[in-house]
Amino acid sequence: MQATATIIKVLGIILQYGLLFLLLYFVYKLIKFMKNDSRDVIEDIYAVTEISNEEAVLTVLEAADEAMVGQRFAFSDEIRIGRGSDNDIVLTDSFASHHHAVIALFNNLYAIEDLGSVNKTYVNGVPIDGRQYLQSGDIITIGSVSLEFGR
Amino acid sequence: MKTKSLLLVAVDFLIMFAGLGIIMLNQYPKIDYSPVPWALGAAGLGFVIQLLLIRGRFNSDIWIFPMVLFFSSIGVIMLARLKPVLCIPQLRWLIIGMLVMVAVLYFSRQLKNMMRYQYILGLCTLVVLCLSLVFGVEIGGSKNWLVFGPFSVQPSEFGKILLVMFLAAFLSDHKDMLAEARRKLLFLDLPPLRFIAPLLVIWGIAILMFVIQRDLGSALLFFCMAVFMTYMGTGSKSYVFIALCFITIGASVSYAFFSHVQVRFNIWLDPWADAVGQAYQVVQSLFSFAAGGVWGTGFTHGHPGLIPEVHTDFIFSAIGEELGLLGCTIIMIVYVLLFYRGIMIALRCKKDLYTLVAAGFSIALFTQAFIIIAGVTKFLPLTGITLPFISYGGSSMVSGFIMVGLLLSLSKETYLGTR
Repeated sequence: MQATATIIKVLGIILQYGLLFLLLYFVYKLIKFMKNDSRDVIEDIYAVTEISNEEAVLTVLEAADEAMVGQRFAFSDEIRIGRGSDNDIVLTDSFASHHHAVIALFNNLYAIEDLGSVNKTYVNGVPIDGRQYLQSGDIITIGSVSLEFGR
Repeated sequence: MKTKSLLLVAVDFLIMFAGLGIIMLNQYPKIDYSPVPWALGAAGLGFVIQLLLIRGRFNSDIWIFPMVLFFSSIGVIMLARLKPVLCIPQLRWLIIGMLVMVAVLYFSRQLKNMMRYQYILGLCTLVVLCLSLVFGVEIGGSKNWLVFGPFSVQPSEFGKILLVMFLAAFLSDHKDMLAEARRKLLFLDLPPLRFIAPLLVIWGIAILMFVIQRDLGSALLFFCMAVFMTYMGTGSKSYVFIALCFITIGASVSYAFFSHVQVRFNIWLDPWADAVGQAYQVVQSLFSFAAGGVWGTGFTHGHPGLIPEVHTDFIFSAIGEELGLLGCTIIMIVYVLLFYRGIMIALRCKKDLYTLVAAGFSIALFTQAFIIIAGVTKFLPLTGITLPFISYGGSSMVSGFIMVGLLLSLSKETYLGTR
């Protein structure tokens, strides 16, 4: 009788700790398996933004100043556009503001941002509102200057 | 890789048998073996279904089902310990739930076609919810039960499923309208009234449930689901803002006019004011968590029986007392992982409609778990609602399994698309 009582007690203790251990083990295995399994899904989701971090190029398509047409401006992280001489691309256009727009890298994608210009920045003919991501082939229009964005 | 998920199912049922074993050892020398055949049946069925999921014709997600079984096992052993009478019914509901899930997978194509008929779904949602408004019978303080002879059903549990499908169909169909046709009102973007009318109806129903049925938990859940789904469908924060205004006004009006809302709120603010009276349940629940500590008192060594309704709404307090912070954290982590997996399925779906349905179901399960866990830990005012898959309740078990079945069938479609 004494022996059975001891056995039951020991079994009970083993099961008690076993239960907690099983709970932990389940979560550990689950996380491990799911991490392996969902890797390709996560890659799928982020694949769009994982474009190689190469240079982007702005090509001038139209400008009042004939000398500018056909010029290419390559940049990697940021480019400033405006009438002021401290810009990367200096536009000699009376419709452009002093600091007109900036194109910069966000999350591996380039985005254009209007710096509060008077005559607005247009992407594919549509005035931008705040920051807008650019795709290769988009046409940026500032005043009478058209630039093609490519990467 | 895939067969490894069988290990998880095995661990689930080991948890169930370890728990039942502890209870049986405590009963020595008069051991009650009656739950064993049912538990073995559930385990067998669980393994068969997982095998079907792995290599059968349902080429679908294989990690969700083990997680659901994990919750169910914990639910079964907690019930065997708290209300031994309800252990076998719970196992029976578990088996019925699994069979229903298989049926949902089997008829998944028809069900997916059904999702397109948005207005019929909308009508069904209304009918199901209004059924309980009209014919509802009061059980346990809220008037949300339908009684058919020996069965009593909680229609709001099934209304949840219809609501998700209706909102998904409506939002994916009117996405452009909702996103484009806007009117500016102050700083809010509003679409014309007729496009948001169905949403207002759902919110109104939630408020009605709140007032007439005193079913605060379901009302809150429905409201949250409608808000999350609208935000996911349109990506417009204006709706969230409107919804928050709506609920603030609704909550303050009902606080002013209805005593039961006042009681709930006052209990939440200061449970110690009436600790042996109206706040008894919450206070006992807090004592349970305190008694449990980090490691818990050990399974069957606590006194969670002091909490009223411990087998349904307050089952999490019992877990907190007997398995401690450790057990609670693990359960919450698994709920989060279930949600994460559901969202993964949603992101993989090719159609907007399916994305919204999958995300909606994940959110429904997750929000439900959040609301009741927050309620019993006094993080939010207590609103009675079941803990998905763990609490005792046939309606909640079966509706949970229907949702999981639909999630799995949506994951199937995406696999076909990618491989």
